Amino acid sequence: MIVEGLGGWLSKVGNFSLTLLIVTTYGLLMGAFIERIIAKVQGRIGIPYRQPFINILKNFFKRTAISHGVMFYLGPVFRIAGGIGTLAFVPVIYGDEMFSNFSMAGDLFLVIYFMFFGQLGMALGAGESGHPYSAIGIARGLSQMTAYEIPFALAVISIVIQYDTLSITQIVAAQQGGWQNWTVVTNWVATLAAMLAFLGMMGYSPFDIFLAPQEIPIGPPTEFHSAYLGLMQLNRALFGATKLVLFMNLFFGGATGWVELMIKTFLIYMVAIVIGVAFPRFRVDQGIRFFFKIPTLIGIMSIIYVQMVLTS
Amino acid sequence: MVATTDTIDIFLQPLGIYILALGVGFLIPLVYRVNRNSAILVFFTALLIMIVIAGLNLLAIINGASVMDIETAGIKPPFSINLRFGLFEGACVLAVNTVALLGAWHYLPRLKQHAAALLLYLILVMGINGMVMTRDLFNLFIFIEITSIATYALIGMERTAKGLAAGFKYIMATSIASAFYLLGTIFIYYQTGTLNIDDIIANQQLIIGPIGFIATLFILTGLLIELKPYPANGWGLDVYETAPGGIASLISVGVSAGVFFALYKVLPIMDLYLTSIAFIGGFTFLISNFIGLKQENTKRLLGYSSIGQMGLLTLVIALLVQLDASAHIPLIIGGLFINHLFAKAGLFWLAAIVDRKNIKDWSSIAKHPSLLILLCILLTALVGLPPFPGFWAKWELVMLLASEQLFGWITLILIGSLLEAVYLFRWFSYARNVESSESVEKPAEVSVSFLQQIPIFITGLLLFAIAYVMSRFMNVDNQLIYFPLMAGFAIWLIDRLNVRVKSLIMLLAVSIGGYFLTKDLEGINKLFSYLLIGGGILVSFATLYRHDDRKGFYPLLSVLLLSLATLLRAQTSLEFFFAWELMALSSYLLVMLGRNKQNCDPGIRLGNDQKNDQKYNQINAIKPALIYLLFSLASAYFILVGFAVSYSATGNYFLFSLGDSGTSTTLAFSLLAIGFIIKIGGFGLHIWLPEVYAEADDDFTAILSSVVSKAGIFGLIIIAAHLGVRADIGLNPAYVLGWIGILTATFGALMAVFQEDIKRLVAYSSMGQLGYIVTGVALMSHLGWVSAMYMTVNHFLFKGILFLSVAGVILRTNERFMYKMGGLIKNMPVTFTFTMIAIIAMSGVPPLSGYGGKWMFFNALMDKGWYWIAALAFFSSAVAFLYMFRLLQTVFLGQRKLEHRKLREAPVILLIPQGILIAIIFVISAYPKILIDVISTAIDPWISNTLVWKGTAMQAHYGYWDAPLIMAIIAGAWIAPLILLLLFAKTMKVQKVEQFNIVYAAERPRRPEETHFAYNFYAHYDRAIGFVVRPRATAFWNAVIEWTHSFAASLRIFYNGNGQTYALFIIMYFVGLFLVNGGLAL
Repeated sequence: MIVEGLGGWLSKVGNFSLTLLIVTTYGLLMGAFIERIIAKVQGRIGIPYRQPFINILKNFFKRTAISHGVMFYLGPVFRIAGGIGTLAFVPVIYGDEMFSNFSMAGDLFLVIYFMFFGQLGMALGAGESGHPYSAIGIARGLSQMTAYEIPFALAVISIVIQYDTLSITQIVAAQQGGWQNWTVVTNWVATLAAMLAFLGMMGYSPFDIFLAPQEIPIGPPTEFHSAYLGLMQLNRALFGATKLVLFMNLFFGGATGWVELMIKTFLIYMVAIVIGVAFPRFRVDQGIRFFFKIPTLIGIMSIIYVQMVLTS
Repeated sequence: MVATTDTIDIFLQPLGIYILALGVGFLIPLVYRVNRNSAILVFFTALLIMIVIAGLNLLAIINGASVMDIETAGIKPPFSINLRFGLFEGACVLAVNTVALLGAWHYLPRLKQHAAALLLYLILVMGINGMVMTRDLFNLFIFIEITSIATYALIGMERTAKGLAAGFKYIMATSIASAFYLLGTIFIYYQTGTLNIDDIIANQQLIIGPIGFIATLFILTGLLIELKPYPANGWGLDVYETAPGGIASLISVGVSAGVFFALYKVLPIMDLYLTSIAFIGGFTFLISNFIGLKQENTKRLLGYSSIGQMGLLTLVIALLVQLDASAHIPLIIGGLFINHLFAKAGLFWLAAIVDRKNIKDWSSIAKHPSLLILLCILLTALVGLPPFPGFWAKWELVMLLASEQLFGWITLILIGSLLEAVYLFRWFSYARNVESSESVEKPAEVSVSFLQQIPIFITGLLLFAIAYVMSRFMNVDNQLIYFPLMAGFAIWLIDRLNVRVKSLIMLLAVSIGGYFLTKDLEGINKLFSYLLIGGGILVSFATLYRHDDRKGFYPLLSVLLLSLATLLRAQTSLEFFFAWELMALSSYLLVMLGRNKQNCDPGIRLGNDQKNDQKYNQINAIKPALIYLLFSLASAYFILVGFAVSYSATGNYFLFSLGDSGTSTTLAFSLLAIGFIIKIGGFGLHIWLPEVYAEADDDFTAILSSVVSKAGIFGLIIIAAHLGVRADIGLNPAYVLGWIGILTATFGALMAVFQEDIKRLVAYSSMGQLGYIVTGVALMSHLGWVSAMYMTVNHFLFKGILFLSVAGVILRTNERFMYKMGGLIKNMPVTFTFTMIAIIAMSGVPPLSGYGGKWMFFNALMDKGWYWIAALAFFSSAVAFLYMFRLLQTVFLGQRKLEHRKLREAPVILLIPQGILIAIIFVISAYPKILIDVISTAIDPWISNTLVWKGTAMQAHYGYWDAPLIMAIIAGAWIAPLILLLLFAKTMKVQKVEQFNIVYAAERPRRPEETHFAYNFYAHYDRAIGFVVRPRATAFWNAVIEWTHSFAASLRIFYNGNGQTYALFIIMYFVGLFLVNGGLAL
């Protein structure tokens, strides 16, 4: 019995490792693809597809290994644990027990709250480096997070009312049977609010001030290098893809196979990219105020909508 | 032999008081010439015998002797003296004579200089006795005159210009009053043909027509004027201000008592005016206390308080007679009267021996523990806090008024009491303030001999004793309510011992006492007993980290913790209220023991004007403590009225019958909830909280936040259980409560974000976290309550850790501004780790315990359909990340200051309780079912259980939560990359680098101050939405204070010090009464 149970758990861990591998690879590939698109828009050729993989490998084998202390050392660990854990709690392929991961441990609420885990740990690690730009980046990132959290929370509440559950699997199940059942159709108000929040969440322009990618190195990774940076790059691909899967599950009907998943997540990602290349960057306080205005209003309307139209 | 006994018996009749006073009065000048000390001996013997006479006769009456009516000399009154000695007369005379004796002791240094003074003093006392006992209108006039003249002469004894002027105004005013009274008496005699009060009452149908109207009005005005009603009381105030303490006390309590008793006697013929009298009393009470706010002269302050108290008594007696509730007179009037008598007399004497004219100069007694304790006891009694007579009387009064639905009067009385508390305890604050910045020159130290304090000390003891007797009369059978006080007293006796020894004894005593007090509890109370007593002792253990003497800290702490235990035990609302007030009082005094010498920079709070910044210049626990007390009192008054409303519906005090309040449920619930919300620091009523938490001792803040604040939560759950669940009617206040809770959470979090001061940050955070709990209770569902209780436990755990680790940081760095710290992880790794774990537990990030609370809370909110509140809960918990990160980043991470390089880890004594709390957090995080089962069992009797468990997973309507599995997965997800990193990084040499070794945009950082990003950390956030957290609540309350003071100042317009004006006011007062009571219709 115990052995059987243990076997069951082991196979679950194995299955999850597979999911992890696929999603990470996919995330890295998609990252490269997006970079190429952005490059094309800006009139460059861009990176080859293998570049992200090379970067990670290179970083892992770099010689310089400097530590500012224990917390600094653990920061990237926290970060990627956050990414892995988040993926673990999200069912990836609907109807496939193999890729439902550990979603039986907790619901949507767990996923939303666990997303902070990596960010907080990472922030602490970056903090110990003593680099002021890290702290500035984190202060900005956290502030922006509180702002997009509002439309996102409202949208989530709206769909929770709509589907009467917090279970991601059941939310996906309720959207099966054709595109007309997807949340984006049935509850387009909530989807709109959530997609606006998504822009902030993904950290592309106009909401990328907390990373300030081009001019100066700012944000949490400022002081990290070598294997630490490798872990972070890995996580960026993994965590980004996980967020896309989550949005796909909540608003776009989920996926019954890997191909469907890839097409859908890619398209969702493109929303952030298209807006990102088209719009200039907000100052951080402007970004915060933005989320408190129209997106929040739409979020409020989504709850009213679901109460007045859908559940009555 | 028999004959002697008879003689004694005859002599010990009440009449003996007069014989004695007159006889000794004639004797004293003679003896004085022979030997001064003998004269003093005779004088004191006379006073003592007066007490004995009053006491013995009162005892006889209590034991069943009939009321004594005495007529002298075989002739009918008015040509003889006609006395009555009953229960009320006896009690009053005994009390007045006791005060007279103690007052004489106090005033002896001056009294003994003149034979006349001794004589006058005796005559004055006799006059008061006469006013109380006589049953004849004309006799009464005589006694009033005797008293007035004796008083006047005694005031004049000091021979200061001001004193003489005041004395003149006094004799003038009382003469006019007596003239009114005499005129009235003449008219009454004209109509009824008798002067005996009983005959007059019996024949009151004869008092008719314009003459009857005028007659009663004259008598009434005469007596009322003597009681100094606003605004015709400027003369009285001048007397209080200038008369020596020994005399002022006798005027304030003795003469007023006599006049008040006289008023009581004639009330049966004043039916027409009862409403007027009530209004006059109430008005005087309220206005006097208003004006008291502006008063800085000690004696005049006491004068306002005296006049206010007499106004209250006048109001209450009129109401009692009007309501035909004379059965309540002994407890209510007696209690208020005795309370006022002893407390006020003691304060007048104290004011005299300390001899500081301005209350701001009272800091000169700051280092006199005995004087401070006396002042505190007397003020506490005067304000009506437990265990003093005023407390019981106020309780009875409010219950009675509530059952008669007289809520207007209740409001007036409580507002007046609160105002009185403001100025009285402000006085105490000045006295306690070692480094009063108000007075430029330090007032000289006071030297007071022990002997001088004895009369005051005796009044204090008498107050305790009488209070105890009163509680017996009120059928308060549960003697355990006094246990905290007695334990505190016992600990106080060993306060001189070594701090280690006494603190350990105190912890042991509280552990044993707390165990026995709470061992029989069950359900919710049991659960809270673990938190409040067990948790309280655990956190109190950390107080051992300090080595200084901490005089008074441990006695008060034991009172506080044990009063929490008695609070949990309370079966009746009275016991609950008693424990509640005791808790408020002891925590007030503990807060006051807090920070005095912390020198802080003029701090900067974002976006504020300069005015606000200045308060950092005077960081001092005294003022926050006062604000804390006032908010506590306001909270207690709401609770009192709430209980009273319920009592008026159910007719008993039992907490379990609160639920039978019927239609009053909503009102009772709302009032009680407001009371508890104030104590918790709810939105809009929170302004006391950050100040108090910031300025109290660092270890006491931990107790205050993690333990004492839970008392408010306990109260809220108790009333929700009794009132909220049982009530079948829809309870809208619960929804409002839910909103208050979530707004508290949101604004608490937002305000915490912008703090530079570490303690204020954690204080606001505490306020915010309690907000969730309030909303959880307001949900009134099983899951909601489980989440509330779960969050309560969790709050206790992480706030205990946070405040203790903050205490450690402040101890080591001697700083409170976070930007002055930084990089402390290197010095205090354990403190950092504990803080980090506490913060993760607070944030709600899985896998630690906070997540469970948030999950249940969110599910319960969704179940209830409170979607907007749920959205705000999301937002506020996101905002919480900002301040949580800031705390860790700016204190422990970033660049370490050079001067902090050699700091040590926090003391082990601080770390041990934190470690225990951390262990509990991990147990609860990994296996929350053990906690939730206990909570659920406690709640089950109130709301049927809706929890569904599938193995280790909890199921709600919406979601599910499998804590052990989550813990396992996250541990796995954390360990796997760690191994990976170790594999890669360990194979190469990891080089530890110094703090400046960073990639710094091609520049080299020079000093940590320039590199540590900490000050104004969330400037951008402030620019974006900071406008919502500008201190509006503070501005509002400051405006309230400002307006109240301006209003009080404008009320003083009548007091111009001119005798003629005062005389005019008295005449106009009569005219006013005449017109108001329909004089024109005659």
